[in-house]
Amino acid sequence: MKIIISNQSELPIYAQIREQLKEQILNGRIPEGTTLPSIRQLAKEVGVSVITTTRAYSELETEGFIATMQGKGSVVLPTDNNLLREQYLLRIEEGLSTAIETAKAMGMSMEELDAIFKNLRDA
Amino acid sequence: MRAINFMKIDYMLTKQQMRIVLPLFVIVALLAGKTMGDVWMLFLCSYLLFMGTIFSTTPFGFCQKKNTGFLLMLPATVAERVIGRFLFGLSYIGMAVLFCAAVMGVFFLFGNEVNMTVVGLMLCNTALGLFIVALEYVICYLFGEGKGNWQYLGNLVRIAPGMAMFFLSMHVVGKIGEETYAADRMAFLSQQIFSMGLIALGAAFLVIVLSILICVKVIERRDYA
Amino acid sequence: MELLEVKNLSKHYKTFDLKDISFSLPKGFIMGYVGPNGSGKTTTLNLITGILKSNDGEVYIDGHTCKEDVRAYREQIGYVGDESYFPDNFTAKNIRTALKDFYATFSEEKFNSFLRKWNLPEKKQVKDFSRGMKVMLMFASVLSRETKLLVLDEATNGLDPVMRTEILKLLQEYVMDGQRSVIFSTHILSDLEQIADYIYFIDAGRTILHDAKDEMIENFLLVKGESGAVPPALKRELIGMEENAYGFEAILPSEKAELLGNAFLVEKPTIDNIVIHFIRNRENGN
Repeated sequence: MKIIISNQSELPIYAQIREQLKEQILNGRIPEGTTLPSIRQLAKEVGVSVITTTRAYSELETEGFIATMQGKGSVVLPTDNNLLREQYLLRIEEGLSTAIETAKAMGMSMEELDAIFKNLRDA
Repeated sequence: MRAINFMKIDYMLTKQQMRIVLPLFVIVALLAGKTMGDVWMLFLCSYLLFMGTIFSTTPFGFCQKKNTGFLLMLPATVAERVIGRFLFGLSYIGMAVLFCAAVMGVFFLFGNEVNMTVVGLMLCNTALGLFIVALEYVICYLFGEGKGNWQYLGNLVRIAPGMAMFFLSMHVVGKIGEETYAADRMAFLSQQIFSMGLIALGAAFLVIVLSILICVKVIERRDYA
Repeated sequence: MELLEVKNLSKHYKTFDLKDISFSLPKGFIMGYVGPNGSGKTTTLNLITGILKSNDGEVYIDGHTCKEDVRAYREQIGYVGDESYFPDNFTAKNIRTALKDFYATFSEEKFNSFLRKWNLPEKKQVKDFSRGMKVMLMFASVLSRETKLLVLDEATNGLDPVMRTEILKLLQEYVMDGQRSVIFSTHILSDLEQIADYIYFIDAGRTILHDAKDEMIENFLLVKGESGAVPPALKRELIGMEENAYGFEAILPSEKAELLGNAFLVEKPTIDNIVIHFIRNRENGN
């Protein structure tokens, strides 16, 4: 398990932790059934506040990635593949819409954008 | 018990002073023991007490606001801290008295007769020393500690009363030394001086208790206390 | 469960008033008490330790005030100041003696191991210590006994980054068991910002903001742009606008984000950004 906090990122720290854990759960680097470090342990290791890690964990819990049991800590739940697919789809959409917005901002036509996309794809 | 711990702290604060005071006391005591007579002995013993009162106020000089956070924050009541400081002062007077007693003991062992007038005068002197400590401490607590103006006031408070006491007893010593001093008055003095000394000592201890109460009341209300 | 409760605390001075400070800090959390120099941070912390007496209001640690039982109250506090509070001529040995005499929970072993770990000499007088050594000696004296609350008054000022990082870790370890809390004051947050759970921000003796740190950061946006491009409706909402020849910087409450449009650069602020612009706001006369 790896967590790297960037102070330059526009993403709040709790969201950075959430996203990085989510990614590692989705791609299997943190296998299902793993017990995550406690909220306080993680806060100390990463050097962030307890409230920050609490929020990251509770959001992961709401999204169904982990379950927190009294006395046992937070355990990674099985991820179904649909969820995984959905997550990746979302990310692809995000990437593409950024490209489209950027193209609009500089006044590029959609045909030109398509051409770039095609080039990149076939490269 | 915490009061005694505070006294211990004052001894740690003034540890450098101890290196001077002890040898000085020993030298003066040796001089007195070797001496040649009552008047000299009285002079040197008064000198011991005079030093006792002067050195007893040193801890106040270490109690600037900046360096005392640690001491002020120790888990103890104001009364314990004040009593600790008084114990420190009393212990210095006690030390001086002990050295005086030792001197007289040695004097006695060498076959000299101990003059009760001298003993009585020493009792009075001790009482005076205690009065002075009580007075000095009240002044130091009221105007000195934590108020920042210690430096100007400190030396005056520390030296002046001890000085006064020393010269007063010297004056008395001088009177006794005068041969013109009437023999009957001498006799009266030697009879009465001992009990006078005891009464003075008792009164001095009452004054000490009173000034402790005053200091505690004042300090309890103060910030940085 | 609240560990520290401060209720309507006030302290009057001839030239300065600390007014109506209220907050509580739950067990296991860290609070940053921030504000510019002279804003009343030290006064507040001294009121918490009981060195100063308030004119109004109360401080409770684990439900008890200093007046109830001074000894018990002070046993549970560990205080580290911005400069050495030990008598100048004390040695680490003297300090150990005093700690042993006064604190029931003092562990000589722990104290000695801190001295070894941080290379603090036993027989050297404190006045000959470097600034960093003094700070570490204060931490050693505080961490070698069982306390519930650490009160740190600008304790990391002037320390090198390595020591600051070490202290950061120490503080996080301290709150690990969820039973103990830390309140620290600082005029500039920088590296301490990350570990703080709550922020209390005062200026000129008055409370400006008080919130969980993450909330506080989310509640504001750092806005930069060209001064001429700011519409009046937006200008009214900007806090502590700082202008130079080429542009401006200010913060904006996040709920007013719709006023921004596309003309400005918007970033996530740091606590320092928020503090600086609120102070600028006061200086601008608002």
